[in-house]
Amino acid sequence: MNQLLQQLVNGLSIGSVYALMAVGYSLVYSIMNFSNFAHGGVIMLGAYFGFFGLTLLKLPFAAAFILASVGTAVLATLIERVAYKPLRDRKAPFLYFIISAMGASILLENVVIATIGPTFRTYPEIFAREPIALGSLAIGRLDLIMFFVSAFCLACLILFIDKTRIGKAIQASAYNMKACALMGVNTDLVVLIVFALGGFLAGIAGVFFGMKYTVYPQIGNITTKSFIAAVFGGLGSLPGAVIGSVLLGVIETLVAGYLSSQFRDLIAFVILIGVLIVRPTGIMGKTAEDKA
Amino acid sequence: MDMTYIQGILMLAGINLIAVLGLCLLTGFTGLFSFGHAGFMAIGAYIGALMTVPPSTMPGSIGGLGLPFIFGILAGGAAAGIVSWFIGRITLNLKGDYFCIATLGFGEATRLILNNVQTFGGARGWPGVPQYSTVLTVFVVDVIAVLFLANLVKSRHGRNMIAVREEELAAQIAGVDVFRYKMIALIVSAVYAGVAGVLFGHYMTFIQPKMFSMTKSTELTIIVIFGGLGSISGSVLGALVLTALPELLRAFDIWRLVFYGAAVIVIMISRPKGLMGGMELSPAGIRKIRAERRARLALKEEAAREAASGGRS
Amino acid sequence: MSVDILEIKGLTKRFGGLAAVNDVSFSVREGGISGLIGPNGAGKTTIFNLITGVYKVTSGEVAFAGKRIENLEPYKIADLGVTRTFQNIRLFKNLSVFDNVLTACHMSAKYTIPEAILRLPRFRREEKLLADKARGLLEIMGLADRMDVQANNLPYGLQRRLEIVRALALDPKLLLLDEPAAGMNPDETEQLMRLIMDIRDRFTLSVLVIEHHMDLVMGICEHIVVLNFGQKLAEGTPDEVSVDPKVMEAYLGSSGGTAC
Ligand SMILES: Nc1ncnc2c1ncn2[C@@H]1O[C@H](COP(=O)(O)OP(=O)(O)OP(=O)(O)O)[C@@H](O)[C@H]1O
Ligand SMILES: [Mg+2]
Repeated sequence: MNQLLQQLVNGLSIGSVYALMAVGYSLVYSIMNFSNFAHGGVIMLGAYFGFFGLTLLKLPFAAAFILASVGTAVLATLIERVAYKPLRDRKAPFLYFIISAMGASILLENVVIATIGPTFRTYPEIFAREPIALGSLAIGRLDLIMFFVSAFCLACLILFIDKTRIGKAIQASAYNMKACALMGVNTDLVVLIVFALGGFLAGIAGVFFGMKYTVYPQIGNITTKSFIAAVFGGLGSLPGAVIGSVLLGVIETLVAGYLSSQFRDLIAFVILIGVLIVRPTGIMGKTAEDKA
Repeated sequence: MDMTYIQGILMLAGINLIAVLGLCLLTGFTGLFSFGHAGFMAIGAYIGALMTVPPSTMPGSIGGLGLPFIFGILAGGAAAGIVSWFIGRITLNLKGDYFCIATLGFGEATRLILNNVQTFGGARGWPGVPQYSTVLTVFVVDVIAVLFLANLVKSRHGRNMIAVREEELAAQIAGVDVFRYKMIALIVSAVYAGVAGVLFGHYMTFIQPKMFSMTKSTELTIIVIFGGLGSISGSVLGALVLTALPELLRAFDIWRLVFYGAAVIVIMISRPKGLMGGMELSPAGIRKIRAERRARLALKEEAAREAASGGRS
Repeated sequence: MSVDILEIKGLTKRFGGLAAVNDVSFSVREGGISGLIGPNGAGKTTIFNLITGVYKVTSGEVAFAGKRIENLEPYKIADLGVTRTFQNIRLFKNLSVFDNVLTACHMSAKYTIPEAILRLPRFRREEKLLADKARGLLEIMGLADRMDVQANNLPYGLQRRLEIVRALALDPKLLLLDEPAAGMNPDETEQLMRLIMDIRDRFTLSVLVIEHHMDLVMGICEHIVVLNFGQKLAEGTPDEVSVDPKVMEAYLGSSGGTAC
């Protein structure tokens, strides 16, 4: 029982970081209808920005955090401009976006390998290693902070989307981009903001990921799992992305705890296929009949 | 550069070509995108090896059945085809992006499962696969693969696949069993990928799950698009160029993959139709291009004439 | 005396809360030209989608030549002899005019995939038949001189016509036309009317046409069904329908202005 609770707590914490990444995939999908595989590379660079902020620039933790998230927000919009904007202008089919995203992801990963090197780097210890005892539960300080910061950021994001004018424009563009453009919404700006938001959260997630594990150029591959979480939830749905991520985090930790840690990565893909069979557009995805 | 080096590149290009031709049917002609075909290559490579590797004599080495190469090729292709049928049953009804995500899931799951199957060496891999792939075998398989594909595409079955790509709904209304033709395209592409996997294993003489990662799947799809969707000759050119290019760039060492990534983006944004853009380098293909050009000119002339006469009246 | 080729009974389609088609019943006489009219959003296209299996019906029946076809796969319905054109043209855009029609002829050949790959005699024989058939159709329909044009380079009116040729390639018994005259000028509309009647006679089929051009509907249809808000408002000959006060009000506008 106790062990189960402990696993659940760990799962929630990692799930909340997945959620930070997953909303980035979902935001972009909701307005542009393609899976932005360059997002993994952005997260990876977030981890590096944070790392160098702390070690090279000797910034305080909060400053490094902001450096990382602002850096990735800029990077994400830059990728949009270079790799997607020309395709958007041409109304290219989604495949071109995906391939361009793959190209960007290959580019980012290898730029890092070529300049920084392929080695694993460990974040300096910011939070004491020994966990906080909570009854019989032992909760890692980092896990706790990860959970609260992620939850806070997600709450802010959802408020932003729900309450602000820009947020409403994003929602409207997700519903019908063409109509919005006709109504005078600057859809180009909406797209940029969406990438900036996704990039900002990716930076935070990257720093946490780097702190929890290590930093290396292929982190992006692991973040594929957050993409899968977004798919579980139903691509394009923010609440779906959060629910999917938390579920994935919990299931993964449970599988690693009770079955074998070898299946940890496998389980995500197995669930992915399972979910798609039962609910072809994810938990919260739209299932309307195509209009003919 | 010595002969063996060039030969190596040609072999790799020829092997890639087989998988690419399969994807050419799936993506270029039927309009389905896969990011998991490395999974079918893996299945081919492992089943193929299982057929041809001699039975184990020493403890610790992984043994197979010791059959001739042709059985390896057939079994590898068949195994990939059978698996693809199951995958198709559950994923081909998915819409757009979701099919391609499901294939990504399949490819990664295959790799991770192989990582955990200790009988085949797990993540460490399986050494000692006999070196049966020769320039001749690869070439022969390539020729057969091209001929089969070209003949398939130029038949009512191939046209039905193209109809699915062009306008799925209209295809259905024209009596095309869309699911069936998607399934056929998927199975053919998986068999091709499986055969490519067998040849690859028997060229490298060593197979390891991480050779068949998502990066490999992506690479195959990139080649198809680079060559031009819906063009077999484009796929052939694409496989040659894009297999050779990274090898030739080896001099730049770590920067070559940076170039590669950048090149992919540049191709997407600047030359969306790929090298061949749906045209074929064959007598019939060239006739077709010329007929189309003539028709376009005639159309333009007519419009101009109409505009002129409209202006006078 | 007359036989009904298509019978629709109590047909209903709901999208969420909206009943796009609500308890509609009507029939199409064999060999006749029937019209389906109604204001925008009345549910006309939805009825086509239900007949051709593109949408699953919520309730009700569709019977074609005495056989229930609702909820069959679209390609099976096409096999039985029902085909259509689309309101927003859906050609195989990147293919030539000839290939558009040739593709749709596929059901006239029976050769299998192995026969195609090995180029066996049946493949050669049937492929030649298909090409002749496609060419013949294009000639009859006056598109023979544009055979090599890529479909999306055709002028708009000819694209609509090509869609009809493609439908005819399936040897249909019932042809559904969704706003075939949309975007055409009076001249072209006139031509189209003659074409539709010509097709009906030459290919011995039945036609159900959705159209906003009243001249066309009134000119060629023997029987008209009027829809409004998903429900059947009236039904009858052009003369009956055009004087029906309910139709005047709903369709022609309460001001009673002339039809567009
Ligand atoms: N796939 C769908 N999902 C949701 N609503 C739909 C769908 N298809 C049609 N509708 C709705 O059903 C109603 C009827 O639409 P339909 O296209 O059948 O109208 P129509 O009579 O063909 O109109 P028009 O003359 O404009 O073509 C409309 O309110 C439309 O918005
Ligand atoms: Mg309509």
